[in-house]
Amino acid sequence: MTAVHHSGEAGTPADVNDPHMTRFDIVKEGLRRDDIEIVTYESHFHGQNSKAEKRVVRNIALLFLLSGLFTAAFVVFYIVWPWHFELGHTMSDYYTPILGVTLGLGLLALGFAILAWAKKLLPHELSIQQRHGDPSSDDERLITGQTMLYVADELGVQRRPLLKGAIGLGMLPLGLAAAAPLVGGMIKNPHGDAEPMMFRTGFNPVANGDKLVRLTREDGTPIRPEDVSTGGQMTVFPGIPHGATNQHADSPTLLIHLRPEDAAETRRNAEADANGRNKGSMYGNYVAYSKICTHAGCPASLYEQQTNRLLCPCHQSQFLITNNAQPVFGPATRRLPMLPLTVDEEGFFVAASDYKDTVGPDFWERP
Amino acid sequence: MTSDTPARRRARVFSRRRGAPSRVRRRLGAAARMFAALALAGGVYTAFTPGAFAEDNVPLSAAAQEGKALYDTSCITCHGRDGQGVQGRGPSLIGVGSASVEFQVGTGRMPMTRQEAQAEQKPPQFDETQTEQLGQYIQELGGGPELPKGELVENLETNPDALAEGGKLFRINCTSCHGFGGGGGALSSGKFAPGLHDATAEQIYAAMLTGPQNMPVFGDNQLTPDQKKQIITYIQVQLQEDKDPGGLFNLGRYGPSTEGMAIFLVGITLLVFTSLWIAGKS
Amino acid sequence: MKRRKMDLSEAPTNFAKGVDDRFQAATPLRGLLNKVFPDHWSFLLGEIALFSFIVLLLSGVFLTLFFDPSMKEVAYNGSYLGLRGVEMSAAYESSLHLSFEVRGGLFMRQMHHWAALLFMASIIVHMARIFFTGAFRKPREINWVIGVVLFLLGFFAGFTGYSLPDDGLSGTGLRIASAIMLTIPVIGTWLSAAVFGGEFPGELIIGRFYIAHVLLIPGLLLALIAAHLGIVFKQKHTQWPGPLRTNENVVGERMFPRYAMKQGGFFMAVFGVIALMAGVFQINPIWLFGPYRAAEVSSASQPDFYVMFMDGLVRLMPNWQIYIFDYSIPPMFWPAVVGLGALFTLPMAYPWLEARKLKDKRTHHLLERPRDNPERVGIGMMSLTFFLVATLSGANDVIADKFHISLNAMTWAGRIGLVLLPPLAYYIAVRICLGLQQHDRQVLAHGVETGIIKRLPNGQFVEIHQPLGPVDDHGHPVPLEYAGWVVPKKMNRIGALAPAIKGFFYPVEKPADIPVSPAVGGPAKREEIKSGS
Repeated sequence: MTAVHHSGEAGTPADVNDPHMTRFDIVKEGLRRDDIEIVTYESHFHGQNSKAEKRVVRNIALLFLLSGLFTAAFVVFYIVWPWHFELGHTMSDYYTPILGVTLGLGLLALGFAILAWAKKLLPHELSIQQRHGDPSSDDERLITGQTMLYVADELGVQRRPLLKGAIGLGMLPLGLAAAAPLVGGMIKNPHGDAEPMMFRTGFNPVANGDKLVRLTREDGTPIRPEDVSTGGQMTVFPGIPHGATNQHADSPTLLIHLRPEDAAETRRNAEADANGRNKGSMYGNYVAYSKICTHAGCPASLYEQQTNRLLCPCHQSQFLITNNAQPVFGPATRRLPMLPLTVDEEGFFVAASDYKDTVGPDFWERP
Repeated sequence: MTSDTPARRRARVFSRRRGAPSRVRRRLGAAARMFAALALAGGVYTAFTPGAFAEDNVPLSAAAQEGKALYDTSCITCHGRDGQGVQGRGPSLIGVGSASVEFQVGTGRMPMTRQEAQAEQKPPQFDETQTEQLGQYIQELGGGPELPKGELVENLETNPDALAEGGKLFRINCTSCHGFGGGGGALSSGKFAPGLHDATAEQIYAAMLTGPQNMPVFGDNQLTPDQKKQIITYIQVQLQEDKDPGGLFNLGRYGPSTEGMAIFLVGITLLVFTSLWIAGKS
Repeated sequence: MKRRKMDLSEAPTNFAKGVDDRFQAATPLRGLLNKVFPDHWSFLLGEIALFSFIVLLLSGVFLTLFFDPSMKEVAYNGSYLGLRGVEMSAAYESSLHLSFEVRGGLFMRQMHHWAALLFMASIIVHMARIFFTGAFRKPREINWVIGVVLFLLGFFAGFTGYSLPDDGLSGTGLRIASAIMLTIPVIGTWLSAAVFGGEFPGELIIGRFYIAHVLLIPGLLLALIAAHLGIVFKQKHTQWPGPLRTNENVVGERMFPRYAMKQGGFFMAVFGVIALMAGVFQINPIWLFGPYRAAEVSSASQPDFYVMFMDGLVRLMPNWQIYIFDYSIPPMFWPAVVGLGALFTLPMAYPWLEARKLKDKRTHHLLERPRDNPERVGIGMMSLTFFLVATLSGANDVIADKFHISLNAMTWAGRIGLVLLPPLAYYIAVRICLGLQQHDRQVLAHGVETGIIKRLPNGQFVEIHQPLGPVDDHGHPVPLEYAGWVVPKKMNRIGALAPAIKGFFYPVEKPADIPVSPAVGGPAKREEIKSGS
């Protein structure tokens, strides 16, 4: 038990070369120089090799050994346990849990061994260090400030206005030159094409050699009206090369076969459409809406066939199918665009034209 | 509603366990289907005019007779006499088919206890035989979709592609409501898509075929019987039976919401307790 | 120079000498060895973030060895049967490959993801500690700002990482990110086209996010974390007020060996907890999500929890669109762009706002207990409540589904809660702080309640109070000055009865046997404090 009560007179440096100084005395001298005072410094135990100390040492040793055991187990399991994925409930399903548990417990045991060592075996101490957080003296500040100003003077930019202007004009292009490749390389005109990409989907006949585009399943097979049951829905894609891939991320469409009474109401509302875009877009009891939510672009595809709502799972916008897919709840402001439907001579669904409303999330210059 | 006799209660207890169809059940099913086939063969002309089925004078098969008895005690209040429906209480059952009965009664959704946003799944009130009989009655009453005979789950030994095919179809047709992990999800105004973790093959098939409640109908033209079986295979093999390889607990496969809870309830909690211990005076 | 040499002459190594000859390391090294750190559990919360960042770097390097940031379409042919033959991007394919075909790869991926969640969660907890104790005050404002920027960088590091596997969930997140860019007035379409290299999703985004995720953002994080720690080191850690502690000193323990050992042990504990979680809890099962397809989505599509507040705000935003002639500003612009901007810039300005309001230009090295600044606690609780309501709303569909609440009701509850609950939290927090402060002052003025009831001659009952300080001539306690530190409120805290037995976290208040005093010769009989004494 060593209680050190430093008297606090910080002015007396000790002679560290004095052979009578113990190592702890030298440490204390170092602390004094760092403005640190040890207030208490005491062991947790009474006397050396006390029973309590031995018990703590034993426990810490046990933790170290446990750690070694677990990490060794980790390595062994890592090597020998079957790890290839297999379907069903197999041994390999426990590979990750075993790795996690063995490594986790190994690291925790090691951590707690070190922590217990620090906490229980090392002497408990209370030290006080002076902060010296005072700002630099006024003189120092003055000197530094004046030095900086002198540097400016030396450069003499103030005195040479020609240089000032020339630096500005000379350096600015360099900055621009640094930014130009980044901006110029990244930039892409979203309205550049003849048919701007924001306003065109895969159902546009232009991309299909002016032939009307068929509605197809994901695997590219076309769809007849009878393929969709009453009260059913089908996700359809433009029947063009790569039509079902992410190259046409705006094109997925929901083809819905409504019950006759719902279809009648939908048709009534579509015909009465204020801007006339949805007029004549239905085919029989079938209606097709863009699957891409007008809010954030998720597929608004949770089709409730009794309440005739489409729900978007990302932000819960809800659209009323029977009323031109107008939003009835949630953050979406704009209705889902309706795809004009018809049937070609072979009896397959085709898009009579591209969407008349812009598909996808809203933006500043959307017409 | 049904009287709560001990026999019925026992039946309910038994019918809770709906695994693969038992042999007895398959035999009964086959018998019922034979009856159905006979009944349909006897009156095939009426199949084109379903309304005619509403007549009382059509002879019913024995199973359907039993079903009618059950119907007249448990279902008639809401669905009316001969499944004609009651305005504002229950829809007409003409043409819904035995597949609907299989789903609605088999999962305990029908009979409903009260009118709410959506019929709640409960322990079924009728056992499998009774469900078959009810289904038979409804089938003979107005026709409609029926479950196919035979195995509804693909054999992955002989057809290993079925799983991935089923997964593809599942993701494009089902996940938007039932979720990637098949845990179900919320719909508008209190409605929801149920979780698929204990759905049987028959129930899934019947649900796709009939579009119960707000679920859209996936007719055989849209998803062929084979495709339906692939979806069922994916649900049963991948989502129900396969043990998650990534840990002892899958956190319900709800994604980031439960993961976020876990990091605070487990990770942060453990480490805050550790830091309390580290800095605590000993 | 001479003395320093001799200092080292005790250590018989020429090496040390050589090092000092070249770098003059002895004095700074001694300063480092001797540096004093204060000790309190709440000072360790930031370390959780630091250590999980190290785990992130380690596991992340492993993942880069197998990940292919390409959007080229390939057909999967790995051991996971449920996706065999499915067309997918090379990024997704390589994520599956490293999960199923690399030994221990899934474990590493899960460790990386859990470490990321722990990184963000501990930053939030650490920030709350800094805020509620006033540790951001002069001279530490800059470090607070760096901390907020670290959270923002972590947010983007997390989001880019979440997007890399190119699975169904991350693609949905990317789609929303592109929609958020589109909402920005005037430049929206240009920004989105520039980031995605054309129309969403294009073929570049994974590669671009990859370089941001593995180089740009971690580089910035590393630099700022170094600055963050350097500033803490230079300015020395704050400490709680208390005996011996002043604004000019640091009371604690020297860095070596005890403090450093505690840090090392804690690192192992953090690492261990991450490994344990990575093994026990499955995270982000990308194989169930399938490759990203624009037509596919799952119910309960959510971002990771630290982005959820933004998603929640987007869900709660009413559908107010602003039309300006032929142009419009979509409603998502406000929560996702303006909201995110405000939520990061307002906290940055807070230290100066508070100093300005309190006209406080002093330097503070002593922390304030939350109760001593009710206003700040109120503001903090208000922000936390806002964050919590927004985050919960980000999961409102899961909550609605699992607790059988109407989804629409959840949205409305969130909208109303977002407006009503934060002020309520402010009020409650301020009242609680004032109440606690009041009680402290009361004890300082009147003493500790002893629980002893005394009946006065006139029949009145009064409780005896034990004064904490000296008493005046009439036996009334002299009111003590309020010092902003723990006031003993129970008799055994001031040495009455017997010393409390130390519990694990809190003292177990069970009287222990009084130590045998050799002078008395036997255990002293415990004497109860009586009303008359």
